[in-house]
Amino acid sequence: MSLTTNDQNSADEVAIQITDMNKWYGDFHVLKGIDLTVKRGEKIVVCGPSGSGKSTMIRCINDLEKHQSGKIEVLGTILDRNPKNIQAIRKDVGMCFQHFNLFPHMTVLENCMLAPTLVQGTSDSKAKETALKYLDKVKIRNQADKYPGQLSGGQQQRVAIARSLCMNPSVMLFDEPTSALDPEVIAEVLDVMVSLADMGMTMICVTHEMGFARKVADRVIFMDAGEIIEDDEPNAFFDNPKSDRTKLFLSQVLEH
Amino acid sequence: MTTTTIPINSKPRAVKPVVKYTWFKERAFSTPLDTLMTLVFLSVICYLGYLIVDWTFLNAVWTEENVAMCQEATGACWSVVDARHRLILFGLYPYELQWRATLACASIILAIVLSCFSFFWTIWRLSWLWFVGFGSYYLLMEGSLLGLQQVTTDEWGGLALTLFLFSSVVLAGIPTGLLFAMLRRSKLPVISYGISIFIDVIRSLPLLATLFTAAVVIPILLPEWLHGDKIWRVIVAFTLFFACYQAEVFRGGFQGVPKGQVEAGQALGLSSWHIFTRIVLPQVFRHSLPGTINMVVMTFKETAIVIIIGFFDVIASANAAIGTAQWAPYYMEVYAFVGFIYWGFIFLLGQYGSYLKRRLSNTSH
Amino acid sequence: MEQTKPPSELDIKGIIIQALFLIAVAVLITSAYSSGQTNLSKMGLTNGFSFLERATGWSYSFSMIDHSTDDPYYRTLFSGFLNTFVLGITAIVFSTIFGFAIGTARDAKNLAVQGSAAIFIQIFRNIPLILQLIFWYAVLIHLPSPRQAMGFYDTIFMSNRGVMIPTLNMSLYTWLIVVAIAIGAYFSINKFCKQKKPIKILAWVTIMAVSVLLLGNLFVPENEPLLSIPELKGLRFVGGVTLNIELVAMLIAIILYGSSYIAEVVRGGLQEVPKGLTEAGNSLGLSDRQIWFKIKMPMALRTILPPLGNQWIFLIKATTIGVAIGYSDLFMIISTSITQSGQTLELIGILMSAFLLINFSLARLINLLNKKLQLKGH
Repeated sequence: MSLTTNDQNSADEVAIQITDMNKWYGDFHVLKGIDLTVKRGEKIVVCGPSGSGKSTMIRCINDLEKHQSGKIEVLGTILDRNPKNIQAIRKDVGMCFQHFNLFPHMTVLENCMLAPTLVQGTSDSKAKETALKYLDKVKIRNQADKYPGQLSGGQQQRVAIARSLCMNPSVMLFDEPTSALDPEVIAEVLDVMVSLADMGMTMICVTHEMGFARKVADRVIFMDAGEIIEDDEPNAFFDNPKSDRTKLFLSQVLEH
Repeated sequence: MTTTTIPINSKPRAVKPVVKYTWFKERAFSTPLDTLMTLVFLSVICYLGYLIVDWTFLNAVWTEENVAMCQEATGACWSVVDARHRLILFGLYPYELQWRATLACASIILAIVLSCFSFFWTIWRLSWLWFVGFGSYYLLMEGSLLGLQQVTTDEWGGLALTLFLFSSVVLAGIPTGLLFAMLRRSKLPVISYGISIFIDVIRSLPLLATLFTAAVVIPILLPEWLHGDKIWRVIVAFTLFFACYQAEVFRGGFQGVPKGQVEAGQALGLSSWHIFTRIVLPQVFRHSLPGTINMVVMTFKETAIVIIIGFFDVIASANAAIGTAQWAPYYMEVYAFVGFIYWGFIFLLGQYGSYLKRRLSNTSH
Repeated sequence: MEQTKPPSELDIKGIIIQALFLIAVAVLITSAYSSGQTNLSKMGLTNGFSFLERATGWSYSFSMIDHSTDDPYYRTLFSGFLNTFVLGITAIVFSTIFGFAIGTARDAKNLAVQGSAAIFIQIFRNIPLILQLIFWYAVLIHLPSPRQAMGFYDTIFMSNRGVMIPTLNMSLYTWLIVVAIAIGAYFSINKFCKQKKPIKILAWVTIMAVSVLLLGNLFVPENEPLLSIPELKGLRFVGGVTLNIELVAMLIAIILYGSSYIAEVVRGGLQEVPKGLTEAGNSLGLSDRQIWFKIKMPMALRTILPPLGNQWIFLIKATTIGVAIGYSDLFMIISTSITQSGQTLELIGILMSAFLLINFSLARLINLLNKKLQLKGH
């Protein structure tokens, strides 16, 4: 379903529209009036110091965190407290986590087949076919019968990406997908993400990989203290940042 | 140093015996004190072992016919077990119907053994296994539904009764414990506090007090039509007791499931029911397996105290077996026999538990 | 904009569920209460605690305070509480000492020591406590009669009437004073004495010896020696103190069972200590003894304490099985009182509150110890 809509609609169509979103943890104001529009096929990289609210923001998009005021519209569905709408959005939005969150009691293949069979009612054989296709795409098909505990971090993150892809999502969210990885395996995960971007997937990535941002992103967003400070295309963002906070952050990140 | 290592390295075959010898020396004869300890402890073990073997096997009288020899024998007089074992195993169950009790016990034991194989570790298979095992136990023991002569629960006794209490408590207690653990994790404060108080109070009371309350107080507090048989009241109380402890085991299991697991399920669009049954529960069971086996072992031992509130369990029937003047002197043999039954079962379960623990820690990481 | 507060939300569904839960509990309690009232009045019983003043009219086997059939219920119940409490504390103390010794042995390098400890644990852990209790009781009851009692150096005697041991000729209250002095002396020496450990111990022993001698001579009845040794006179023993066989059987059974459990807890704690710490101790040149006392045990204690506390509570609760052999613990006194007086609800209430009191105070004590032991910064 998502693939067909993807083909029919023009590139200008809005995938995600966030308007004046606020969120509090108790009395702590985490997200302060966020406005963000993401078009179909756009790749957004979100960066910023830790605690700036960037993870919280993308976790609000598929309702892992509840926003308390403002409006979020994903692929034409308004995110409210109605479980049906939440479910509809989650089916169409895939997510990869910092700690992979693979299900340790299932094999790689079972991890990939679980959601399609339970949520979409796909038959076992069809789900297996899809799962193997995407495992092939992330170059890990030969490990399909292993358990997550037997794989390296990089392999696990690639499985997690394949697991999300099996649901045929229209949007992929990445929440610091490489922060928990050893330096030598970061590249293999980034390669998979680049190939996803080349396929035209709508992506929002929270990451500190500035090389990836420069290479892939259509826009780079800098957040600090719960606000979007800067929103620009990569070349302008890196070479000519407008805000002082961005400059400071970039000098700290790019120093080494 | 170097002169001694070179010949060993050049002859690889010589390495192994040397290593073995040093390992043993290290663990038993490393210092004079060590050697002394080894000798003292070894001789004590050997002496006690000799006494036990001598009493149990070498000088024992084995059959009922030879009972006259027991007077002179310095060893055990197993004649008493030979003569009274049916009383010990089945209590007051009608003598000519004891084939039914034998089959019933066999079905429960078979269900216990089969549950130990991972093949049966799915909710459906396990429920079916125990539905059949426990059901056939009850049908055989009670009899009336199979068209056999009816034997009411107050005639059940001995090991058969102990097995019945044990398996009903564990079977009913595990789901109840899971329910308690879930209620305790509830986001609604009234419910989670309420159940916490209940669990903590039951846990700090002795089991005997709980069972006694069920046997004595419940008839006062409930209208007559709710009383039920004493045995069912005691099973319900024992189940609640088990569930309160098991809830704590499960609570630990729930805490062992990272929050990210639920989030991953949500992000994939799974419903909360599927997240709970397919992702959270399997991991909770896995984490709480060692604790659950501990609880099962505890429960098997604790069932023994029903003798105090007037049930004819295996210890009571052992007391009955030595209740006549002829057999009274051989109490030690009867207690040894019953003790061995308990010991064997619990030892095997314990070994199985530590095997599982090793297996789980190997596969998870 | 920045100063706005989060919008407050009411969880109406949650409130309704909780209200229903509360109502259900209330209905359950009131209906149990009302049917309890009708059932009791049918039996002709009144509720209330006035029966506590009545004389019991029955006797029981063992008491640490004087007892007779004229005792009111509250005194008899208190005696039962004392029996449970003293037995429980004694069992806890000895089980803990033996448990630590056996648990350490289980973790020892020496194979023979380790093996012996393993055999001990496997035997006493895997047989139900009540079966062990009945076994020891049967063994004790088959001992010879007092006339042929087995004697050890003419000071300790064992017979089917009990175990006779020498004692200091002091009343219970004098003993309490001695215990109070012991604790007071320990703390004041720790506070004011800046000497080394052996001197501190010497000072404590001296204080204790002097106070026992003084108190003893002050309070001992005339014409009786301070140290009383059991002696066979005619058909029974005179002097010393007699531990009746129910108490002895309870002590043997609970201590053996308890120490095998505590040994496992201790072994578990010792195994949790990271190997790197022992290696660090070795590389600093500490002896095995020093490593055990200064590194392994203090580290292991932090893992041992919570399960050890559970074992203590378990041992206190285990004293209730004394009823199986007629040891008059609180549970036995309560159940006899119930059959004799019929005041079921009140007596069960007393039983529960007594155990809640003991176990919650134990739990608090363990929590306190735990807080004290917790590593800083963890």
